[in-house]
Amino acid sequence: MIESMNSGNQRSPHLAFIGYFSIALAILLVLSVPANAQEYRSGWDIVDSGTLADLYSVESEGSEVWAFGENGAMISSNDGGLSWEAGESLTSSDLTISDSGYGSFLAASEDGTILIKSGNEIIWSDISLDIGNELVYGACLTGDNAAVIVGGNGSIWTYEMQVWSDRSVSGEDLLDVSFLDSERGIAVGEQGTILFSDDGGSSWDYRDAPTEASSSRIIDIEFFSEIRAYAITDEGEILKSSREINTAVGFLWNMQYFESEGGSANLGVNLTSIEIATTNKFLLSGNDGYLSMSKDGGNIVSRQMIPLGNSTSFNDIAMLDGFNGVAVGSDGSLLLTERSGEDEQVGFEVRDFSEFGNFVDYSKGMLIEGLYATINIVIFGIFLGFFLGISLSMMKTSPTTLKEISQRRSLVVIKSTGVIFTIIGLSLLRYLVPIIQNLGLDGWEYIYAPIGIINPDGITGELQFENFLFLILGVSLFLLGILLISANGEYKKSHYNIRGKEIIWNPWGIRPLNFIATIYTDIFRNTPLIVQFLFIHFGVQIGALIGDPGAEMLEDSSNFILTFLRDDILSNRACVSAIFALGLNSGAYQCETIRGAISAIPSGQMEAGRSIGLNYMQTMRLVIMPQAIRICIPPMGNEMVNLVLNSSLAMVIGYSELTRKAKLINAVTFQVFWSYGMVLISYFIVTWTLALFLRYLENKTRIPGLGISGGS
Amino acid sequence: MDSVLTITDMHKTYAGGVQAVRGVSFDVNEGESVAIIGSSGSGKSTVLRCINRLIEPTGGEVRLRGDLINTPSADINNVRSRIGMVFQSFELFSHLRVIDNITLGLRHVRKMSKRDAESEALGVLEKVDMLDRKDAFPGNLSGGQKQRVAIARALAMKPEVMLFDEPTSALDPELIGSVLKTIRGLADEGMTMIVVTHEISFARDVADRVIYMDNGIIAESGESSIIDNPKTERLKRFLSSINEED
Repeated sequence: MIESMNSGNQRSPHLAFIGYFSIALAILLVLSVPANAQEYRSGWDIVDSGTLADLYSVESEGSEVWAFGENGAMISSNDGGLSWEAGESLTSSDLTISDSGYGSFLAASEDGTILIKSGNEIIWSDISLDIGNELVYGACLTGDNAAVIVGGNGSIWTYEMQVWSDRSVSGEDLLDVSFLDSERGIAVGEQGTILFSDDGGSSWDYRDAPTEASSSRIIDIEFFSEIRAYAITDEGEILKSSREINTAVGFLWNMQYFESEGGSANLGVNLTSIEIATTNKFLLSGNDGYLSMSKDGGNIVSRQMIPLGNSTSFNDIAMLDGFNGVAVGSDGSLLLTERSGEDEQVGFEVRDFSEFGNFVDYSKGMLIEGLYATINIVIFGIFLGFFLGISLSMMKTSPTTLKEISQRRSLVVIKSTGVIFTIIGLSLLRYLVPIIQNLGLDGWEYIYAPIGIINPDGITGELQFENFLFLILGVSLFLLGILLISANGEYKKSHYNIRGKEIIWNPWGIRPLNFIATIYTDIFRNTPLIVQFLFIHFGVQIGALIGDPGAEMLEDSSNFILTFLRDDILSNRACVSAIFALGLNSGAYQCETIRGAISAIPSGQMEAGRSIGLNYMQTMRLVIMPQAIRICIPPMGNEMVNLVLNSSLAMVIGYSELTRKAKLINAVTFQVFWSYGMVLISYFIVTWTLALFLRYLENKTRIPGLGISGGS
Repeated sequence: MDSVLTITDMHKTYAGGVQAVRGVSFDVNEGESVAIIGSSGSGKSTVLRCINRLIEPTGGEVRLRGDLINTPSADINNVRSRIGMVFQSFELFSHLRVIDNITLGLRHVRKMSKRDAESEALGVLEKVDMLDRKDAFPGNLSGGQKQRVAIARALAMKPEVMLFDEPTSALDPELIGSVLKTIRGLADEGMTMIVVTHEISFARDVADRVIYMDNGIIAESGESSIIDNPKTERLKRFLSSINEED
């Protein structure tokens, strides 16, 4: 075949066809990739706050929302945050602290300015406190007209009945405080300080922060419910306290590890506040435009898209309910969400699989992926199978018999080789006997011994293929040795007369290469392919044996073919196993096909090749094979189509090829007829193209006078 | 005279026990053309194939210019390349064009470059008058043309001796002439050759020596004049049976 391609002008149309074919295939693939109109949009909407002052804090009670900021800025909304109006300025201090609850609002600044708007009032009253040199860092309402504030060096003051009382403890700066009800509260601060009070803030006990946070600045605490409290550090860590069987919430604190950050306990951003929506759902704000949410208690924290630049620092979030919320930040930024800030999917739609068009839209992407996977194993399988087929068929047709090998050597050499073979064979068998005995077999059970000796220890032990090799070698060498010892220089057939029937015994006629190839083809042609798949993948684990070291070998390569081999083929164990199962099986069948074609070549061709001085292999390669391959193109086409179709069995080892994809599509859509029907069409396209190509190849390589082929 | 090929006591017993050749000895001298005639099954083709060991002789010696060639230590591929062979059924490589049929041996046995091999091939094709069909496939040639290409293929290797195995018996009568003319031309140029043939007139005209084989042995041999004056009864009977056919 190769010879004729080199000769003459048949070459160009041939290559042109392959060229067109691949271009057409590429266009088909490009067209079939689903057009991607889907995208995400921020779940936050910009709302005009009416101010350019930095907003530090936001609070809500019902649909009444207040935000506080720079130079005493106070803005409010009565419609859940849609429209805002500026309130009258009561102070020029930066209002960095706020709280709401019991229908009341509280705002405070570091210098001790404290404003409160009780539930039954419509105006703010100033209840400022002078706490000397210390600064106020946190405040919390404990009733409609009661509050607790915390500040520098352990300062704690409670406000009840219009009176401030000093409840300070000695210790680090306290940065925030949060009360669940009028009694139970938690204050947090520098160096991992956590204080707990169950008497409305009159007395405080220290709690242990997790060791990882023992030197962190805990800047925000939310005592959310009887069962959950969250705190954050400015480094991006979250501390969580849950009610345990014998322990109330607030006693034991744990670091939250983020699965979304690869198991790290650090989000890698500077957080400013945490807002709890439900027990396991919370939002976080931070610098550099950071807003995020977790719906599973912090296991997965997903950053949200924002409609503003990343230079905005978000300082606080207030959730009006489980979904509606307001976030405030620098330069009067104010964002509103109706969906907890979750990114909105645009272009995604719930599909109705009862409509065929929708079904096809959904499944074609998966089918293309499956097709790609199928083509991968098919192409490599064909190469492996063809290589094996050619090699095995040459082995099977090799004419050299034991007699011919022996005749070239002197009798002494033959006999001493025989002795050596017998000794090696016997010692191999002697090595195996205890192993076989240990298998504990009885009677006919010994037919399973080959499997037993390869893996005597079962799943816990290693595969010992050498034992199987030793078994075959041992038996063969022993028998061969005996035969060679018995050589008398004539190498004749023996004729035996048993009960009047003539039995011809001709061990010298054995062709060793043919013998080996026959063992191979017999094994693979007499076992079902599906079992070969299972055995090769799960039993031998060829994917791990060959794929893993192969991928490791190509670890550093940057060539795109090698990286493709590494990433798409070798790293996928099921893929490697599937290629080997298909290739090894197909090799056995292709061997017989090619062998048939070789025997169809007149023996005179071999004589002619030899007569001009070509050796056996040259004659096979240059004279016999080019003609044999032409003859066997039609049956080889059969083989290749079979290989493509057989590749669907790769689904049993979990390789996600076309058929498996159909099953997956079924699992989602329940449209059995459509999904399997589409798979049928996909297979048909591949195999039919292959068949057309082979038909074309057959015509192009047809040689006048070679074989009866019909047509012109 | 210089002996190119020496065959001594050649035996061949086939695997089934048929004794095809039972002790044949003859020499072929430099420039000599020897015709082997005989009825079908007389062992003449077997003798020819045993010379270049396409069939392994079971006994006797074959020497090419004094070197024993039917021994395992002989480089048989080299020996074969020194002995040209032409087959009854041509055995052209049907997947190769005429010119590639001829260059195959030159390139892969003689290790010549493609260009050298082709210019060599054009030379021998001219000699057998097939130059105009050099790009045809064998399947598109007539029998006589095929056989001339086969002769060219053997000639291209510059053999020391040519073996012709019934080169004309697969040809239509009207095509035989051109092949015989080619062979005669070679003989006239002094090519050493052995021709197994049924063409008695050709043997008489071209051969320096005729060997008549019957039943695996040489029944009679001598100058080509023995065809006109057979000494043995067997050859007489053979010749008369052929004449009857004609």
